[in-house]
Amino acid sequence: MSATSLLVFDGLLLVSMVSLAWAALASTDERRSVILFMAFGLVVALAWARLLAPDVALAEAAIGAGLAGALLLTAGREQRQPTPVHGAAGVHKRHDAPLGSALRWAVTSMSAALGGTLAWALAHAFSRGPQDGLAQAVSANLPDSGVSNPVTAVLLNFRAYDTLLELAVLLAAVLGILALGRERPGYAASGPVFDGLVRWLVPVLILTAGYLLWVGAHAPGGAFQAGATLAAAGVVLRLAGRRCIGLPQGTTLRILMSAGVGMFLLIGLALLGFGRPFLGYPAAWAGVLILVIESAAMVAIAVTLVLAFLGGRPQPIRVDALGRAPALPPVAAPSGRTREAMPRAESATAEALERCNEEKVRC
Amino acid sequence: MLTAHWLYGLTGCLIVALGLRAALLQTSLLRRVVAVNVMGTGVFLVLIAVAYRGPEMPPDPVPHALVLTGIVVAVSATALALALARRLNAEHADE
Amino acid sequence: MSELLIWLVALPLAGALAALLLPRRATATAIATGVATTLAAAALLHGVATQGVMHYAIGGWTGGLGIALRADGLSALLVLMNALVVLAASVYASAYFRKPSQRARFWPLWLLLWTSLNALLLSGDLFNLYVTLELVGLSAVALASLGGQTAAVQAALRYLLVGLLGSMLFLAGVSLIYAAYATLDLATLARVAEAGPILWSALALMSAGLLLKTALFPLHFWLPPAHASAPAPVSAVLSALVVKAAFYLVLRLWLDVFPDVVTAQAAAVLGVLGAGAILWGSWRALHAERLKVLAAYSTVAQLGYLFLFFPLLQALPSDASRDLALGGLVILALTHGLAKAGLFLAIGVVQQRSGHDTIRDLDGTAQRLPATTFAIALAGVALIGLPPSGAFLGKWQLLAGSFAAGQWLWILVTIIGSLLAAAYIFRVLGHAFGHGPYPNVAVTLAREEWPALLLTLTAAVVLGLAAAPVWSVLETRL
Repeated sequence: MSATSLLVFDGLLLVSMVSLAWAALASTDERRSVILFMAFGLVVALAWARLLAPDVALAEAAIGAGLAGALLLTAGREQRQPTPVHGAAGVHKRHDAPLGSALRWAVTSMSAALGGTLAWALAHAFSRGPQDGLAQAVSANLPDSGVSNPVTAVLLNFRAYDTLLELAVLLAAVLGILALGRERPGYAASGPVFDGLVRWLVPVLILTAGYLLWVGAHAPGGAFQAGATLAAAGVVLRLAGRRCIGLPQGTTLRILMSAGVGMFLLIGLALLGFGRPFLGYPAAWAGVLILVIESAAMVAIAVTLVLAFLGGRPQPIRVDALGRAPALPPVAAPSGRTREAMPRAESATAEALERCNEEKVRC
Repeated sequence: MLTAHWLYGLTGCLIVALGLRAALLQTSLLRRVVAVNVMGTGVFLVLIAVAYRGPEMPPDPVPHALVLTGIVVAVSATALALALARRLNAEHADE
Repeated sequence: MSELLIWLVALPLAGALAALLLPRRATATAIATGVATTLAAAALLHGVATQGVMHYAIGGWTGGLGIALRADGLSALLVLMNALVVLAASVYASAYFRKPSQRARFWPLWLLLWTSLNALLLSGDLFNLYVTLELVGLSAVALASLGGQTAAVQAALRYLLVGLLGSMLFLAGVSLIYAAYATLDLATLARVAEAGPILWSALALMSAGLLLKTALFPLHFWLPPAHASAPAPVSAVLSALVVKAAFYLVLRLWLDVFPDVVTAQAAAVLGVLGAGAILWGSWRALHAERLKVLAAYSTVAQLGYLFLFFPLLQALPSDASRDLALGGLVILALTHGLAKAGLFLAIGVVQQRSGHDTIRDLDGTAQRLPATTFAIALAGVALIGLPPSGAFLGKWQLLAGSFAAGQWLWILVTIIGSLLAAAYIFRVLGHAFGHGPYPNVAVTLAREEWPALLLTLTAAVVLGLAAAPVWSVLETRL
């Protein structure tokens, strides 16, 4: 691409990015705000691809825009009132609205000052001339790292300790979510079109996840992108009204949740036992060890993100003597739709159970 | 320095300022969470802009790894915030 | 020997996983992990005192490519304080949580919080510090909301959002540093960083984020509700350790990593805000109706004292007087950590026994729970700064430093602050004594009362009498 056309592309991309951000933040309707935020995330993913960051682009599209958007939309589903009533403590508020215009101006100028300071300092940093960062060090050590994708090498080898702690962050968040309550009410069973789509989409997603995991060693991809894709499969199943989405229960679930951190610790401490530094893989074994850790991390990330989408402790599905499962909990839609959802839900449950048994997925 | 640096880096700063302003001024939790996420994306934009070394050279992979970590951390925090809000709404639904 | 650094992170993390996977044996696992980690922390302090600064390059990667762990006198002391407080609070928590489901949810998060605190204190990499800050924040929020009550969840949500904002500002600063110096390693940065607009902006952004997290006045609004409505052991750790971790980062960045950028005006700003914290926090504590709210505002005030040291450290020349002042700061921080934790644990005992923690209705607590009231009194001694507590030494150094630097305002503020602290402590003790008969047994609830008693005893007596080693350990600086 010639320099001018690239410039035009950049300009268009950035203008749409800023406009979408502004629109998402200024919109008065919450659902519209979330959808605009998802669109913003996708444009940002485009920007990552433009800046030669395909791993980040994949992760942003899957996690930053996709899963975060799904979480926000599900959360918005439960709000009784679109905008909070002052004094209703259902929502966190810091100032007593309506905010005086003086306060708004103060906050605007403070944000502008902070953004301006950041920009000013950044301009100074850029004026120093081209920087290589740590790129030289990474490429020098890349052959010993066990993978040929430099981002994977940084994430799983050079700075693996950060990834370990990040998986711990995910674990802490999901433990907090599980402690707060039960899962959100499910969705009514989907019609034939969506159901048909789900039947082939979910296997494709699972295959894609496996592929992303495998290819992450030498091309854009890796555990996070794979985990997010796997989580997307779970989310899609849930949206289709299925009762069982492949999540195990009890101890198995806890093992899967902690698999990422656990594998990291296991391998790190084992290496320590063999006289090597913590997480200092021997060059010959690095590739294998990284793949093992990434597989465990992928499962942990997928399970954690699905649990986050469920919003709480998954409820076991109990079947009575005649093989019937109780009705799905009523969909907590605002006004009116609850009554319609209930009878559909009861017949849907029997179908869902049948489907479960057909596909031999563990409920 | 490369044009891309200036364009994307300074846009990142702008988005940080927009997100920060909205995070402080909004009263609805959902929009506050969106604002904080937007602010985070602005910071990531700055990091990736710093990593870009031009169309010919491969970019610096360290900021890419940092941003990947940041994205996951941000979504974890978002999920926890939404779960807390759900608990609050449930409490008030019973009143 | 330097593997101790990674063990201090790996042990509580492994304990957290074990507690998660074996929920029925979670309490035993947690206590065992606690003892092991405390021993490791003691070994670390001993190692640093005898062999000097310890480094550990994770993965063996050096030169800024990997992440390094570092421990000097300051971090070793704080790691040991963390270990003692968490161990004591763990013993208390084993009796506090009655239902197995509560325990199963509590222990993994508790140990994850300890992991994150250790990881933060020992980290030598700027981005790693961001990740540990987030882990501390998320586990603290999850723990604070464990009770499930509306007030707790609301306060936890506010805490989470404020924490996120702070972390984002911190990350913005980190990105500037990387853009300028192409490294995230603290030791390298301490060598190569030069004062200039980039460094100034980066430090300003990082400090803004950290000051939000350490609840310095006027950014303290989130702290009292969060600490007052969390379960008692969680409040203890939040007030004693979590806010101190963010303060530790401010100290580290301003004193060791980027000292050239810090100006007298910037330090003075911190001092003024600290003074505001002392006066406002103590005033609100005096008017608090609940014990936990009083303790939370007391934390706001005590953190103010720590920030009061900054203008002194900036003004004093780099010699013995500066080292003395720094030692005073650390001793004050250690004493507050132990005393505040003990205070919250004692308040927890009162709350569980009487069903409430309203100060006005405390009548007769001294009679029913003599050991706990004694613990509260000892904590009060440490918070006011009476001898022989470590806080007395710390405040003495504060006054001495102010004299030496010629900054009289801090002397006035310290005196007023101490008087206000005396007022609110004596108010509590006044209400705690009633007219009933005294029991024959001092300690009525062993597992719950001993931790508070031991912590406050250490703060009020041991740290004051055995303080000299602190100064000598602090000589081992990064």
